[in-house]
Amino acid sequence: MTTDTDLQRAGEILAPFAKGTNNPETNRLDVQIAASDLPNAVSALTDASWGFLSAITGMDLGAEANELEALYHFCEGAAVTTLRVHLPRVDCPEIPSISDKIPVASFFERELGEMLGVKVVGTPDPSRLFLPDDWPAGVYPLRQDFKLEQAASVEPEKTPEPGKVGNKFIIPIGPQHPALKEPGHFEFAVDGEIITGARMRLGYVHRGIEKATEERNWIQNLYLLERICGICSHTHTSAYSQGVEQLAQVEVPQRALAIRELVAGLERIHSHLLWLGISAHEAGFDTLFMYSWRDRETVMNLLEEITGNRVNYSICLLGGVKQDINAEHSASIHKALDYLEERIRYYLHIVTSDTSFLQRTRGIGTMSLEEAKRFGALGPTARASGLKRDVRLDAPYGAYKRYPVSIITDERGDLEARFAVRMKELLVTCFTIRTIVDNMPAGEIATRFPRKIPAGETVSRVEAPRGEVFYYIKSGGGESPVRLKIRTPSLCNWTSVLNKAVGHQLADVPMLIAGMDPCFSCNDRMVTVRRKNDSHTMTWSELREYGIKKYGQGR
Amino acid sequence: MTTFTALLSLMFFPAGITLILSGMLYEWADRKLVARFQNRVGPRWFQPLADTIKLLTKEEIKPQGLNSLLFYGLPVVALTGALTAALYAPILGLAPVYSFPGDLIVTLYLLSLLTMCTGLAGWNGSSRFSLIGATRSLTQLFAYEAPFLLALLGPAMAANSWVIKDVSAYAESHWMVFTQPVGFVIALIGLMGKLELPPFDAPEAETEIVAGALTEYSGRGLALFHIGKSVELVVAVSLVTAFYLGGIGNPLLFLVKTLMIVFLMAMLQAMLTRLRIDQTVGMWWRFGALLALLQILVLVLLKGWLA
Repeated sequence: MTTDTDLQRAGEILAPFAKGTNNPETNRLDVQIAASDLPNAVSALTDASWGFLSAITGMDLGAEANELEALYHFCEGAAVTTLRVHLPRVDCPEIPSISDKIPVASFFERELGEMLGVKVVGTPDPSRLFLPDDWPAGVYPLRQDFKLEQAASVEPEKTPEPGKVGNKFIIPIGPQHPALKEPGHFEFAVDGEIITGARMRLGYVHRGIEKATEERNWIQNLYLLERICGICSHTHTSAYSQGVEQLAQVEVPQRALAIRELVAGLERIHSHLLWLGISAHEAGFDTLFMYSWRDRETVMNLLEEITGNRVNYSICLLGGVKQDINAEHSASIHKALDYLEERIRYYLHIVTSDTSFLQRTRGIGTMSLEEAKRFGALGPTARASGLKRDVRLDAPYGAYKRYPVSIITDERGDLEARFAVRMKELLVTCFTIRTIVDNMPAGEIATRFPRKIPAGETVSRVEAPRGEVFYYIKSGGGESPVRLKIRTPSLCNWTSVLNKAVGHQLADVPMLIAGMDPCFSCNDRMVTVRRKNDSHTMTWSELREYGIKKYGQGR
Repeated sequence: MTTFTALLSLMFFPAGITLILSGMLYEWADRKLVARFQNRVGPRWFQPLADTIKLLTKEEIKPQGLNSLLFYGLPVVALTGALTAALYAPILGLAPVYSFPGDLIVTLYLLSLLTMCTGLAGWNGSSRFSLIGATRSLTQLFAYEAPFLLALLGPAMAANSWVIKDVSAYAESHWMVFTQPVGFVIALIGLMGKLELPPFDAPEAETEIVAGALTEYSGRGLALFHIGKSVELVVAVSLVTAFYLGGIGNPLLFLVKTLMIVFLMAMLQAMLTRLRIDQTVGMWWRFGALLALLQILVLVLLKGWLA
């Protein structure tokens, strides 16, 4: 089905609830609905199995309009239908929950509640997900009138005594725990070794990036967003630049798009090899960990050679890319891929045939296709359950039309399938990279880009190594965005982990968490934490001066 | 004079200082080999000693709400058990210092003391990781202990003696690794279970329960447990070598044989994925114990037939 028929169908489904519709872009449909109609409208979409809930964007329209707006983005193929709900701009406007129909919505709803002060009626767990425990009540960082001074903390509320909650024996994992390379907090209720319940708390590395983008200009944001994640930094810059280019209606040279896809491919190799090592380590198979990380160095060195950086490649520009690929680069890419392909085939063989490793992966955490759909799983986690969901194919962006990738799925849905899917995906990626290198379009690598972006809003979706990254960008016509919403794949995949953990052994938990390749720093982007005993607060320019002074002296 | 020699043998040679130092060297060999198998550089030869000295100089933190006597006493008991076991074992290719009828059984029990102490230390703690670790340690103890015991009883039955000295003397003319291969394999794997080495490191699986039963230990207590473990490594490896690989014989040759066992263990550690505790128990009782029993049965029948 084409995007147009998809949108038409969505329009028909939502017609009974619509107060107004329009098509802001060819692939998008905006439907205004009343807050009370929301559960019915969502039921109508899910009953007709139209797409999946990709993100909920909360927005403050400012004192003038005196309204808040919640945007429910549903995606089907390349089509994006947005349910727009207007709410009065009071302390706790009410909106009904949709988590009973779409479990993953509970995370978005918690975010909506703590960031914008929307009371989501009937959400299963209204406790804080991102904001710190001693954040003052009634202060919502994404409201337009939020002042940094308001964040001055109150006396921390007494945290509940850890350990026995009711009659359950709770095993805490995190925020500091050897299984987690980044801070997150999980509470697993156990009966002996068997898990009977799971809870999660995020926000330990929240940096307030969404808020910060509103204070920086379009170009500065590129470098800020690159630092969302150290592993898929290129995904974020390319998603952002793609969105901003759509808003500015700038045509990006084909060669630049090809280079973006090339770097994205290399990034995928580096990310999946990193993940392979970590998961092997969680299973207690350190040999595979050491080997895969050694081989990952190959692709890291390659990225350094091409872009100059190992982690934040900084190759995307608004309107193009920064570095070109020359013949020397192509030669070293081919050489490195020869080695990597051989190693990846070997790892694929190991993860599908090593008896002792299969004991820990086969049949563990099995997620059926129906469950994957219901939990809103994304990326390799979804594809390992046979769910064909990949933005690179559903809505080819950038150079993916020119150099398509083939989709890898697996029907089994257990940890073994996730290992196999990721390794096979790497082989496909290697092939695509070779194709790009050999068939690079000639031409410029960047084009001129305006400082100010015309008012408007757009949606940009990019397939990260972990799944779909969703960007909603709204411009007011100025030098910086009015609202930028980022939804990373890890947040959607948590639901599947927390639900699938129940009934498994405690020993399987680290594997299950690692199996979806979580990225905490992606999830956490939004907070300034200041405590009473913090020495002092710096403004942006003070911090800048401090940095220049500090690092200037060292030279 | 006898008291003096007894003290000497207990404090310095062959038990005591010598044993502790050799324990560290064996530990280093193990760590270095695993590191090389894993494509890492590995520690320098004095690293275990440096680790121990560092731990001994560090502050020992006692968490609130647990029994002090147990907290401070258990590491000492654990180390004492391992050191005492050394008196009856052919350490470094030398004949055991002491010997009495039935010392094999006593030695095996002394070797289990370390695990029991670890388990108790975990139970005594207030941490949930140590509690789970202790449960796993003791569960695992019940899994490998019987097969390991049976595997060492095989040679003893062949030698018609419960005395370690006599069994190793008998073993010098009979390489029991060939006559009782099943027993040797079970003894080797049981040894890894006893020392909680990968793949049997579920009791201290860091990605699940941090450091298991010893999570709350720091400084001296942790150092004593570590020393106890490396002493146990030497004692148990010596025992298996003496029983299965041709007795005591030449000390130099004995050293080579023990290192071969360490090499085999390091290889297995690098090759295998950690087993879950239910998989460990299942494996030992479904295969280990049955095979060990089968071997004993064959031995008994053969002996009866030959007699």
